[in-house]
Amino acid sequence: MYDLVIRNGRIVDGSGMPAFSADIAITGDRIARIGRVEEKALREIDATGKVVAPGFIDPHTHFDAQLLWDGAAKPALSHGVTTIVSGNCSLSLAPLKAEHRMKLVGMFNQIEEMPLKAFKEGVVWDWETFPEYLARIRKGLSINVGQLVGHSVLRLWVMGEAAMERTATADEIAGMQALLRECLDAGAIGLSTSYVDMDETLKPVPSRYADAAEVDALAAVLSEYDRILQIVPEFYDPDLTIARLDQLAEISLKYGISTTFSPLFVNADNIAAVNRVMARVDEQFARGARVWPQVQTRPIDISFSFAVPSLIFIRLPGWYNIMRFGSPEEIIAAFAGGESRERLIAEATPMMDLWSFLKLRQVASQANQQYVGKTLAEIGKLRGVTALEAMIDLSVEEKLDAHFMAESMGHNQDDQVGPLLRHPRVHIGASDGGAHILSFSTYGDTGYLFGHFVREAGMLSLEEAVKKITSDTAAIWGIPDRGLLAKGLVADIVVFDPAAIDRGAEVYVQDVPGEGSRYIRDAHGVDTVIVAGGVAWSAAEGYSADARGAIVPPALAAAELEAA
Amino acid sequence: MTSLTAELTPVRKSILPKGGDTWESIAARELPDVAQSDAVGMLQSWNLHVFMRASGGVGRMRGDNPILPSDVIFVEAPHRD
Repeated sequence: MYDLVIRNGRIVDGSGMPAFSADIAITGDRIARIGRVEEKALREIDATGKVVAPGFIDPHTHFDAQLLWDGAAKPALSHGVTTIVSGNCSLSLAPLKAEHRMKLVGMFNQIEEMPLKAFKEGVVWDWETFPEYLARIRKGLSINVGQLVGHSVLRLWVMGEAAMERTATADEIAGMQALLRECLDAGAIGLSTSYVDMDETLKPVPSRYADAAEVDALAAVLSEYDRILQIVPEFYDPDLTIARLDQLAEISLKYGISTTFSPLFVNADNIAAVNRVMARVDEQFARGARVWPQVQTRPIDISFSFAVPSLIFIRLPGWYNIMRFGSPEEIIAAFAGGESRERLIAEATPMMDLWSFLKLRQVASQANQQYVGKTLAEIGKLRGVTALEAMIDLSVEEKLDAHFMAESMGHNQDDQVGPLLRHPRVHIGASDGGAHILSFSTYGDTGYLFGHFVREAGMLSLEEAVKKITSDTAAIWGIPDRGLLAKGLVADIVVFDPAAIDRGAEVYVQDVPGEGSRYIRDAHGVDTVIVAGGVAWSAAEGYSADARGAIVPPALAAAELEAA
Repeated sequence: MTSLTAELTPVRKSILPKGGDTWESIAARELPDVAQSDAVGMLQSWNLHVFMRASGGVGRMRGDNPILPSDVIFVEAPHRD
């Protein structure tokens, strides 16, 4: 008798081959048979009319902190995502000495917009080394995790404060190599670095103080383990992006490793630039390099209130400083009147087109409910003020609990985004899952891929889309035994309704430690999510306590270590 | 590891800094035939992402940023598309 059988489904196996009808039988954590299964099972799932596919893999997330209080990375798992990669953009929570914890929290807060209170209330700091961190998150893990090592934290561990001031000495580079080997031995999936990010004091993050020789030395270690290098390039400039991808290509060729850079956005005003970048990607692949650009599926939406700093104001220093360093009372006082209000209005007035376009998405008071869903231009007209003044006044009236949304700001033209997603050398990713939780929802990108680009726009076939976010991702990231439905492979499986799968509306919920909130999207059309042969989530029963998530790739066995 | 083909379309020429590099040292190395003050001005105008970035830290002025060891430095003007 099998442990689980999924019957009568339409199998989209992740290879890109045409879908077919069959049953899938599972024994333990592995797929035992695909075909017509007569034998009974302890549990059976009727997938009539539904697609049965490999679990989706999300390669660009920042769930590092959330995994400490939520081993399912909610709501990612409910969207069919069975594997996530954390530790992107040079930031991981290990290896991390106790004296550097607050420094890292500051960087996570600044770069990934993770609330300080969530770290304070949700994190028990009981690890320092990378193996200790993995042991910590492994408890209660319902989703598989590929954990990158952040270059910035490697530098902090080895160099201390000097990591944020200078290049490393030869001894320090050797120290980082040794530390990286320890992480890779424990099961790290690769290394991440950043060329753009700034810390909480607006100084470059430690990885930006590394010279090319240091990156080369760390890539040499990745080569010993055949692991990936992820970078954040200066994505706002095509010449810079091309220079970085050339640098990556040389590393990829020299060491024979896979590399990836993210993000790559496409808009009406940068389509020529993106075409140049993709032409270079094609040339480098033709040389034999592996330089995978990551492209997200969803359009860019940004929501904010003045209760927390938002990156939408990063180019307005007066606004950003008061949001970042001011108390709520100080912000309200600055908005309410006098010279400070006039100064802020003067600074932001040149961006009136943006303020006019914003929508009021949520308020607490009954009095202002009438304005919800309207643009600030419309609200301003009703109130006899400018859009900017309307935004300020509503924020004061709501004691900063007024939420505004810049909807579909970019990366939103199907004729540009669709072909990019379909491109054979584009890696679908860059969701940023678990980050920017007070700016936008980073969940549901897979639902949007199927609901919008497959079903509505018809720009990718179902088989192509599944392949892109399963076997392609597993191959790019070196994740063994996952990403395909085949006998003997790990049974990470999602059952979904192809006519209904989508992302739900963005909602603001309070479920973050420290009474914190975030924007999320629920899954539509996903029926059952299976991790390592166990039902981890289902539409009928919600999240399961059967925690079978694993660290991928697995740690090297002692014998392999010795041989290495 | 050898490449399958050696040819790449020429792109805007750039370098990664050597240890202790300044605008002056890069100018002397990369633009030896140009007067140094002119060469420094040209480099800075081609590399506003470094010269004018606002990330020198709280209280720092634009333009006083050091060149970071990881910075891409262009040593020629942008190509015309």
